Amino acid sequence: MILWIIGLLIVIALIFIVYYNRFVTLENRIDNSLSQIDVQLKKRSDLVPNLINSVKGYVKHERGVMSEVTKARKAFMSAKNFQSKVQKGAALQSALGSLFAIAENYPQLKANENFLHLQQELAAIEDKVAYARQHYNDSIMSYNNLTKKFPGITFASLYRRSAKKYLEILAEEKAVPKVSF
Amino acid sequence: MSQHLSFDDQIQRNKIKSFFLIGIIFIFFIILGYIISLILDPSYFFVIMIFAIIFSMIYVVAGYYNSDRIALASVKAKKASHTEHRALYHAAEGMAIASGLPMPKLYIMESDEINAFASGRSPDKAVICFTTGALKKLDKQELEGVVAHEMSHIANYDIRFMTLTAVLIGMVSIIAQMFLRSLWFGSGGHDRDGRTQIIMIVIGIAFAILAPIAAQLVALSISRKREYVADATGVKFTRYPKGLANALKKIKEEHVPSNERKHRVAKAMAPLFISDPFKKKVQGLFSTHPPVEERIRRLEAM
Repeated sequence: MILWIIGLLIVIALIFIVYYNRFVTLENRIDNSLSQIDVQLKKRSDLVPNLINSVKGYVKHERGVMSEVTKARKAFMSAKNFQSKVQKGAALQSALGSLFAIAENYPQLKANENFLHLQQELAAIEDKVAYARQHYNDSIMSYNNLTKKFPGITFASLYRRSAKKYLEILAEEKAVPKVSF
Repeated sequence: MSQHLSFDDQIQRNKIKSFFLIGIIFIFFIILGYIISLILDPSYFFVIMIFAIIFSMIYVVAGYYNSDRIALASVKAKKASHTEHRALYHAAEGMAIASGLPMPKLYIMESDEINAFASGRSPDKAVICFTTGALKKLDKQELEGVVAHEMSHIANYDIRFMTLTAVLIGMVSIIAQMFLRSLWFGSGGHDRDGRTQIIMIVIGIAFAILAPIAAQLVALSISRKREYVADATGVKFTRYPKGLANALKKIKEEHVPSNERKHRVAKAMAPLFISDPFKKKVQGLFSTHPPVEERIRRLEAM
């Protein structure tokens, strides 16, 4: 009889541990995907000075666009929290978009190997930002499913876990014209 | 949650199946050792048994820990270069982020045919190998689709299971070959009852012939099913079913003379590839992959 009770207690304890660990695993996944977005945004901003350098020699009459890009990069670098980083990162992307649109008018620039390389890198980074956001939202979804569905919901209240917010596409970003590289 | 749960289930099932597969390998060796000892001399039963167990342990452990290297070496794959194969790295990095998996090591094998495979025993030890033909002929979306398909095999622990399957099939066929050949030379104990000996030899031959076929059939039916699952999981990463569908269409359309590809790839490795390197006109029980048309149809319906 006592053995049965001990066995039952062990099973119950295991269930509590499993659920606690599940919350932690999913939270770590969210943090990890968040830092992935951060890494890609940082990479993009790091490539900007190189891009400006390679463009400078060819594009003489379009100072305005280039200073826009530099300004957007500065704004991104001074962003403190994640939400504004994402926002400023999107603004930088749109500034880069107009720069690449102008580059279309300069055949010599388009033939420059360094420029082409940077263009490809930046296009790849844009994809990766999109994938990182997708994974972030996926991770949020599995976390929220756990906190909202039974029996997870009881453990969620026990461990003081509540549903998290999805990363929304900001209004500013939605208005970005689609530039094809 | 239901979708996530089903993938988790898939992973769990693959881990359990892998475990059973290792068990089957051991049992197979014990049965084989028993039969061999009966045929040669029953008094050696324990000696043969011990050898069989030691041999099978070494075989499984070595095959398991070196599976990726064996697979890569058998197709003469080279490490992909960051400068030359940048498109592949971009696709793989994007998919690693989308799937949340560690970045796999990338390899290139020389072949005009469009194909790719994944190997390794766990996601952080995973490798993905692409043919040069695939890199040449697939565009960005298609490449991402195929990478996503391979990443799904990694995420679902298919690579571990398929690698073990390849190890098992390879082993069973080697043993069967050895046994059948030894019969030509083996004299057997002449002092024993001739009839039992003949019966034992017949059973042994039947076992040696049937075991590899049975092992292969089981492996193939599992392999076909997991291709559909990998296609679906891959789309979960790219959110773009057309990419993989178009890649499969290109694979379907290309015609490479069959004798050119045959000597490049060992038969046991076929289940690892995205499309069967030994594809024949007739689809059926012996195919490692479901028909490409059906896979395209399912992708386009997503």
